[in-house]
Amino acid sequence: MSTVTTPDTRSPEARPALPDGSAWSRWANAHRKWLFAAPAMAFVAVLIVFPVAWTGYLSLTDAEGSVRAESEFIGFQNYLDVLADTDRFWPAVWRTVAFTGVVLLFEIVLGMAIALLLWRPFRGERWVRVAILLPLVATPVAVGMMWRLIFDPNIGMANQVLSWVGIGPQPWLSGQHSALPTTMFIDVWQWTPMVVLILLAGLTSLSDEPQEAALIDGASTWQRFRHVTLPLLMPTVVVAILLRGIDALKTFDILYATKGRGGGSFHEVETLNVYAYGLSFDYNDYGVSSTVLIIFFLIIIGVMWALTYRKKGLQR
Amino acid sequence: MRPSRSFRIFRTVALAVVVIGLLAPLLWMITASLKTNVDIYDTGKAFAFSPTLDNYANVLQRANYVQFIGNSLWVAFAATVLSLILGVPAAYSMSRFNMRRSALVVLMARVIPGVSLLVPWYYVFSNLRMVGGFTVLILSHMFVSLPLIVYIMMGYFDGLPTELEEAALVDGLTHIGAFRRITMPLSVPGIATAGILSFIFSWNNFMFALVLSGADTKTLPVAIFDFVGYASIDWGGLMAAATVVTLPIMVIALFVQKYVVSGLTAGATKG
Amino acid sequence: MRRRSILGTSLAVVVAMGVAACGGGDSGEGSDTLRITLVNHVWTENLKKALPEFEKQSGLKVEVTQLGEDQLSDQYNVKLNAGSSDIDVMMYRPLQEGKLFAKNKYLADLTDRTKSDSAFEFGDFQPGPVQATTYEDKVVGVPIITEQEVLYYRKDLLEKSGFTAPPKTLDELKAQAAKVEADNPGVAGFVARTGKAAAVTQFSSFLYSFGGDFVDAGGKASVDTEQAKQAYAYYGGMLKDHGPENISTDMSWSEAMAIFTQGKAAFYTEANSLYKNATDPAKSKVADTVGFAAFPAGPAGSKPYNIPSWALGVNDASENKDNAWKFIQWAAGKEQSLVQQKAGVPGARASVWANPEATSTYPKDLAEATTVSTANGVGHDRPLVVKVAEAREIVGQPIVDAITGKDSAASADAANEAFQKFLDDEAK
Repeated sequence: MSTVTTPDTRSPEARPALPDGSAWSRWANAHRKWLFAAPAMAFVAVLIVFPVAWTGYLSLTDAEGSVRAESEFIGFQNYLDVLADTDRFWPAVWRTVAFTGVVLLFEIVLGMAIALLLWRPFRGERWVRVAILLPLVATPVAVGMMWRLIFDPNIGMANQVLSWVGIGPQPWLSGQHSALPTTMFIDVWQWTPMVVLILLAGLTSLSDEPQEAALIDGASTWQRFRHVTLPLLMPTVVVAILLRGIDALKTFDILYATKGRGGGSFHEVETLNVYAYGLSFDYNDYGVSSTVLIIFFLIIIGVMWALTYRKKGLQR
Repeated sequence: MRPSRSFRIFRTVALAVVVIGLLAPLLWMITASLKTNVDIYDTGKAFAFSPTLDNYANVLQRANYVQFIGNSLWVAFAATVLSLILGVPAAYSMSRFNMRRSALVVLMARVIPGVSLLVPWYYVFSNLRMVGGFTVLILSHMFVSLPLIVYIMMGYFDGLPTELEEAALVDGLTHIGAFRRITMPLSVPGIATAGILSFIFSWNNFMFALVLSGADTKTLPVAIFDFVGYASIDWGGLMAAATVVTLPIMVIALFVQKYVVSGLTAGATKG
Repeated sequence: MRRRSILGTSLAVVVAMGVAACGGGDSGEGSDTLRITLVNHVWTENLKKALPEFEKQSGLKVEVTQLGEDQLSDQYNVKLNAGSSDIDVMMYRPLQEGKLFAKNKYLADLTDRTKSDSAFEFGDFQPGPVQATTYEDKVVGVPIITEQEVLYYRKDLLEKSGFTAPPKTLDELKAQAAKVEADNPGVAGFVARTGKAAAVTQFSSFLYSFGGDFVDAGGKASVDTEQAKQAYAYYGGMLKDHGPENISTDMSWSEAMAIFTQGKAAFYTEANSLYKNATDPAKSKVADTVGFAAFPAGPAGSKPYNIPSWALGVNDASENKDNAWKFIQWAAGKEQSLVQQKAGVPGARASVWANPEATSTYPKDLAEATTVSTANGVGHDRPLVVKVAEAREIVGQPIVDAITGKDSAASADAANEAFQKFLDDEAK
């Protein structure tokens, strides 16, 4: 897979004749734009349109128990109910936002710090890069299970390590207030490396001249970072936020593997995705679940749109 | 700009902390997979234990893991190849004709919450009598792979100069011919990158496989839950299973590190 | 060469896809392949060992899908919802999903089959479990595994604190737990499940023994009665006052069991079906010193639950129902039930329970405790409703509030109101 093939450099005469003259070939070449693009678009559209339309339809009904059971059309009642639900829905929104915001903050700040350290070549760089790659490609469900054992309050390594430095055992994933931060920690562990790689790619592509100019002007390290590197890197940072942000909003595997459905006794890690999953598969409340999904979908699109807009603004 | 000595010391220490922080949990997972359950439950034996391969024997024999490994490989491979066939020409067209809006249609697949797709998909596919084999599973994984491939390849084609193609046209090649004979060979690194990334994401996919796979088609991430029983959790087996799932993909990733990195960072420097 | 290899690959894939697509459609009527879906359980492991015997004798090929309980229920929700026929036999939880599945007509009516088969002798099954697998007078499942709540305790710790016998009443349990805890720093007097939904089933025995229930005889929510409030306060109070330090409010059996088998708790109330976790030296540090006793009596006596935790049903959309029934006849038949019970999985057949051989492998005190529980037991361990998961979270809230030291009586009032609303919604 990794062989690099050079382009066919033989002269046109040496190549086998093409069916240039055929009507099909002419048609295909003339319509290549859609001939190429349409299959992929059709594939996605076919797989998306029906589910989304169906979800939209269900969100306007009181479907529950089974999607094949009779249900009544109840208009926007589900939306009113869900938006007025301060017990599960709004806390889930808040948790989704908090989860995404906090992990993004940590991942960007830590990722930036590590990327800056890795910027200039040094000995042993390869090993650091290997270490950075591994959490990133590890299967998230397996990672969740791994952390479940490490954070087990009784037999886990985490409390063991704390006891060496004289700190008492913590409840980690099983505590009402510590569960969400712990899952955030897991996410930061797994995905900071991705931010490092993205920012590093951005840093490597920067030209050295502005840096050198600033150095000659006598700027300090911090000043150079703040006023030269960071502004130049900003578009890359936005890309990192965009890519990570979408995935963080949709985090599921880690939460499912560590806390199961419902996100714990106090729904302490129940984000919108987990809530919708529970509504579908635990409560069989398909109408409400679809409503939450549609709202969630709109939130994601809104965030994406806002970020892309901001990105465009920065490019100006 | 040679860094100062104190900076170099700081960098070494800081990066050592980072490396340990990233690797220690994975090493702990592997350590636990080599312990009996009694040793896992005995926190006094964190390091002093006699390693055993029983958990692996258990995983590979009793739980049909060999078959699940095969399933995971086949699903990830098929989903990747099919997505490349659909995705590479699409990305080319979208890049050359600047079809940003059309690209959004494909990228939407990356944005939509997977939960909303499961029941409808299953409903449709079972009515089409397609459930039970690998088809549905592969299609669902393509849904993850395709937007990834389109995204990466669009970035790649954007950065590929058009001069060679134009020269080929002058030489008498058709547009499609130029794509096939000039652009495709030039894009092999990009295709490799996209393919590898798609393979990794498909291998790791959990949610679709959880509901869409059956007895014969179960993939590894789902099979991990075999070790969470109604009446017992087999931590040793669970960690061995987690290792069996994670290790192959980590080894593959290390061998093709360059491509993985360029795939993950695609689009980062376009600005 | 590049071109040919890409074309070749795509061709191979297209062919393979075709094969895969065809492979999906061989589930015709009376197919020789039977698809059964089972949960990860000792029962399943035992069954798989005997499966070749069934395949030989019936000439059928059995495909087993095996999953964790949550993943199993997720798969059912997707597949049965879509009316899929690719499950023939399904292992399900009568009290958790039974009503929902029956209401949605996922489960085939087995009444005629159970009646017409004299060798299978459906009358041999205990009435409580059978009631749980019957919906609107139709038999929709065959109970295979039963569970009773018992008291796990540490013989050595009790002896050390001068107790010669395990507690007979809940008051004694409290006193003994307090004493053992005081005598052994670092050891909790009592541990039990604490997760909001997970704890409900184990709490139910306390509720009944205090004289309460989730729903009263008139079908009204009754978790705000004086008895229920006492039960909440007792269960939560025991965990708060005598439970492990820094108690988590998210413990299911696996976490609670870990504390007990680590030697960090003296008493533990839990389903007897989990006993091997405590007595197996490969999993438990206290394997030698575990004792079992009948559930301690409360003001209303000792009233633990006695429930069918798992049953076998036939998917109503299955096109292979005759063979599916053949499998159930075998798997829930007298012979296999005895084999299972001897291997540590309590079943639902009265004849097997009457057979001394069946419990010969059990710890003696566990067998005795189980017999007592079977006699006094209540046939449900959670509210009998359609949407059980939601109901468990409602009635479980006061448990968690009691553990964390909040006003559990007020919480019970609030839970009752929510639960009544839930029941009203469901009755619609």
